Amino acid sequence: MEPILKFRSMRGVKARFNARGGRFLDLIAVALTILLLLGGAALLILAEPIGWLLLGLITWPMMFHIWKVHDLGQLPPTKNPQNLSDILEGDLLGVLPKDPSPRDLATAVMKTNGGRFFFVRFGISAQFLPDLASPEPADSEPIWAETLKIHESLPDKPETISAATLTAAIVRMTPAMKDILSALHLDEDDIVNGAEWFSHLGALIRYHDEPKLTGGIARDWDFGYIPTLQYFGVNLSAKYSASRSFNTHLESHQELVASIINTFGSGGRQNVALIGPLGAGKSTIVDSFAETIMDGTNKIPNNLRFRQVFALDAASLISAASGRGQIESLVNNLLVEAHEAKNIILFLDNAQLFFEDDTGSVDISNILQPVLEGGVLRLILSLDEQRFLQISQAKPALAASLNRLQVEPPGRDDVLKIAEDQIISIEFQRKVTFMYQALVEAYRLSERYVQDIAQPERMIQLLESAAAQAENGLVTAQSVVTAIEKTLGVKVGGSVDADEPAEREMLLNLENLIHERMINQTAAVSAVSAALRRARAGVRNENRPIGTFLFLGPTGVGKTELAKSLAAVYFGGEDHMVRIDLNEYVRSDDVARLIADGATDPNSLSAQVQKNPFSVVLLDEIEKAHESVLTTLLQVLDEGILRDINNREISFRDTILITTSNAGADRIREYIDKGYKLEQFSDQLQDELISTQEFRPEFLNRFDEIVVFRPLTKEELLQIVDLILDGVNKNLEVQKVMVTVDTDAKQALVDAGYDPRLGARPLRRVVQRTVENIVAEKMLKRELVAGSGLRITLEDLQDSGGLKDNSQ
Amino acid sequence: MLLVGFLGWWYNTGWRGQVSRIGDTMIRTNDWFSIPLLIKTFFAPFRQISANEIGNDISSSFRAWSDRMFSRMIGAFMRFFMIIFGAITLVLILIISLIRLILWPIFPLVPVIGMALMLTVGTPWNLF
Repeated sequence: MEPILKFRSMRGVKARFNARGGRFLDLIAVALTILLLLGGAALLILAEPIGWLLLGLITWPMMFHIWKVHDLGQLPPTKNPQNLSDILEGDLLGVLPKDPSPRDLATAVMKTNGGRFFFVRFGISAQFLPDLASPEPADSEPIWAETLKIHESLPDKPETISAATLTAAIVRMTPAMKDILSALHLDEDDIVNGAEWFSHLGALIRYHDEPKLTGGIARDWDFGYIPTLQYFGVNLSAKYSASRSFNTHLESHQELVASIINTFGSGGRQNVALIGPLGAGKSTIVDSFAETIMDGTNKIPNNLRFRQVFALDAASLISAASGRGQIESLVNNLLVEAHEAKNIILFLDNAQLFFEDDTGSVDISNILQPVLEGGVLRLILSLDEQRFLQISQAKPALAASLNRLQVEPPGRDDVLKIAEDQIISIEFQRKVTFMYQALVEAYRLSERYVQDIAQPERMIQLLESAAAQAENGLVTAQSVVTAIEKTLGVKVGGSVDADEPAEREMLLNLENLIHERMINQTAAVSAVSAALRRARAGVRNENRPIGTFLFLGPTGVGKTELAKSLAAVYFGGEDHMVRIDLNEYVRSDDVARLIADGATDPNSLSAQVQKNPFSVVLLDEIEKAHESVLTTLLQVLDEGILRDINNREISFRDTILITTSNAGADRIREYIDKGYKLEQFSDQLQDELISTQEFRPEFLNRFDEIVVFRPLTKEELLQIVDLILDGVNKNLEVQKVMVTVDTDAKQALVDAGYDPRLGARPLRRVVQRTVENIVAEKMLKRELVAGSGLRITLEDLQDSGGLKDNSQ
Repeated sequence: MLLVGFLGWWYNTGWRGQVSRIGDTMIRTNDWFSIPLLIKTFFAPFRQISANEIGNDISSSFRAWSDRMFSRMIGAFMRFFMIIFGAITLVLILIISLIRLILWPIFPLVPVIGMALMLTVGTPWNLF
C-alpha cells in the first residue's frame, strides 16, 4: 500500500461531508421525515391529492438517514486498499486538509477520539503536539510510513487506521517530543502500547456488538430445576447470556480453557483442578470457559454446548453450615441436584477448604473423592498452590484423582493488558479515568509491595485503591503512589517524589539535616547520605536494599543515633525503624524466630519488615549472632529478599539495612590514641576483624559501606550536651518552661560524663541527675512556673550533687 | 460526486448490507426459538420433573415410569407449540425481509410513484 493520501477519493469526499455537516443534515432528515409523514397523511385525510406526493417524498430523507447510519457514520475501508484514503478511519479522514504537514496531522488527530485518547491517557496535550510538529508537508511521508508500520503490528488487526495510531506515529517521528516523553515518564514503546490499547478498545466494542447465540428459550427445558444451587451458587453462564464479558482473552488462558473443554469433552475423570497462587486468574479462566461454552458460535463438543457453570465458594458454604454434618448434607444436596439437572458444571472455588480440617475448613473429601473419581458430575476446582502441595502429601489418592492444570501468574505485558480491560468497569463505577502512567506505576509498585496475592489481582487491587485518590477524576501515577502510601502508611519514594523540589532539597542537604541530630561522625554520615542520594535519583540497583551498612565502633558514639536520624529524615519518623538485637539469636535454631510468620510472632524480623517495608532495619551486635543467622541475612544483603518460614518473599528492597558491631572497638581506640585518622586504619581494621575470625570476608564484602565510628572527644561531647539540653527543653515545652545552662556548667557536665569507653551515654545520665533533678525540684517548690525560665549555673550543678555521683 | 457516491452505495454495498442484516435477524430469531433443539429433544422430560423411584416393587417402578411419561408429554406439548409459533414467526420475518429487499432498489423512485398517485388517483376516497 502506498503511504500517500488521495484527497479527492470517494471515501475522502464522504468523510469530509460527514465531518462538516453529516450530523446536522441527519437531524434535518429525521425531522423532515416526520413532518412529511404527518403533513402527507393530514392532506390525504383532507382529500388533498398532493398528500400522495408528500408521502412519496418521505423516502428521500429516510434514505439519507439510512446512508448516514450505515455508510457515512462508519465508512468501512475499501476492499483491497491501495492508499491511505482507502483505510483511514472516517472521523480522521474527514478533518484532514489537502497535502497535510505533520503539524496539520497533529492538529487533526486532536479533533478525534484517538487523539483525545492520547491526551487523556498519556497527557500528550493538544497544545504542544502541533507546536512541535514540522509545518512542511514533505515531512509527512515518514509519518505515514510509520503509521502503516504500527497499524500492521497491532495485535487486534483493526480494519481501519485510527487517529490513535497516527498520533503514535507523529510522536515517534517528532524528535522534539523525546524530552516531553521523558518528562511524562514515557518512552516510545509506551506510545505504541497506547495505539494497541485504543485498537483493543475498538475490538472490545465490536465484540460486544456481535450477535450472540446462546441457545434461546428452549435451551434449558430438558434440564432439571436447581433451587439449592441457585440459592448458594452463582451462575457464571447467565451473565454471558445477557452480554459479553470484559475478560481478557490471554493466549495462556485460552490454552487452559481448551484443556478444560478437552477434558470434559472426552471420557475419563470429569474434573479439572486449577492450581495456582491466589489472584493468578483461576476464576477468570473458569469465567472464560463458561463464556466459551455459552457462545453458540464457538466450535465445542455438543455435550458441552450451553452447559451452565455454577460457582460455589467453599468459604461461604462452610460459613452457611453450622457443623460438619450440615456441611456434608449441604454439599451432598448440591451435588445430587447438579447431577440430576444434567446440564450443570460445578466450580468449587477455594476447594482446598474442603480437603483439610482447620479453622474455616472442613474435610469432606469422603464425599467429594467418589464424585471426582466417578466422573458422573463435571467439577472444576480451584486450589491454592501451597495448600494443594500439603493436601497432596496428606491425601495422595485424592491428588491422583484430579486432572491438574497449573495456572501461572501472567507476565508484565499480559498484566497490563488485563488491567486495561479491567479498569473499564472500575472507571464506570467510580467515575474516574486512569492514565497509562498510573497502570505502569501500579504494576511496578504492586509487584514490589503488595504481598500474599499474585498478579494480576495485586495490581487490580491497587488500581481500585488508587481510584479513591483521583484528582478531578483523573488517576495518575501520583494517585497510585498516594494509594500505596496510604495503604502501607509509608513513603514509597522513587522518581515521582524525587521530582518534588522539597524532596530534592532534602536529598542535597542530607548531611546537614542529619547533623542537626548528631555531632560529627562525618565520614559515616557522608557515606550514608551518598547511598540515599543514589537511591532517590534512581541509579541504585532496585533488587537490593537502598543501602547496606556495617557500623563499627565503641558504644555510645552515635551508631544508633545515625540510624534513628535516617529513619526520621528519609522515612519521615523514628517509628520507621525495625530494631533487632542479634545477641538474642545466638543458636542455630534461632533462625526460625528471625523469620517467623507474623501471625505467630509479630516481632520477628520478617514480620516487622513485612508490616513496615520502608524502614531502617537496625541489627545490633551482629558479631554475637549465630553463623546460621548471618547466612540467612546474606540473601537480604544480596537480593533484598528474606524468605519467611512459609517461604514467602519479604522485600527488604526499600529498607536501609544497618548492622552494628562493637567488634574492634578497642583497636579503634588504640589507633585514635596513637593519632591515626579513620581513613588511615579503616582497611587494616577490616583485615584484622577477618583474621581474628570475627567476621567472614564474604559477609563483609556484601555491605555497601563499612563505616568506622571513632570515640567522641570532649569537644564533641560539649556539642552533645547542647543536643541533650534541647531534648530536655522539648520535654518541658508542655510546662511552658525554658532551661539554659551556663558554658562553664556545660563543661562541668562533660568532665563528669566523659568516659572514652562508653561514649555519650554517661553524659546523658549526668544531665538527668543534675539538670533534670534541679528543674523537677524547682517546679515542685513553685520556684519555676509556667512562662518562666531557669538559668543553671556551675554552682547549681555542684549543689545538686549529681556531678560527684558520676565520679564514684 | 456525493450523489454518485450515495447511489453507488445504495445499489451496491447498501443493498448487500440489507441481505446480510436479514441473515443476521433470521439467525438470531432461529436461535431464540431454538427450533432444531426443540425437535431434537421433542420427547425429553420437561425440566426432568419426575418422582424418584423408591423401592424395587412394581408399583413404585410404574409410578416413576408414568411420572416420566407425563413429564415427556408436557414437554412434547410445549415444544410442539413453540415449534409452530417459531416457524410462523420465521416465515413472517422472511416474507417482510424479502419485500424490503425487493423494494430497496425502487425506493429512490417512490416520490415519482407518489406524484403518479396524486395525478391519477387524486384523493384516497377515490380508491373505494
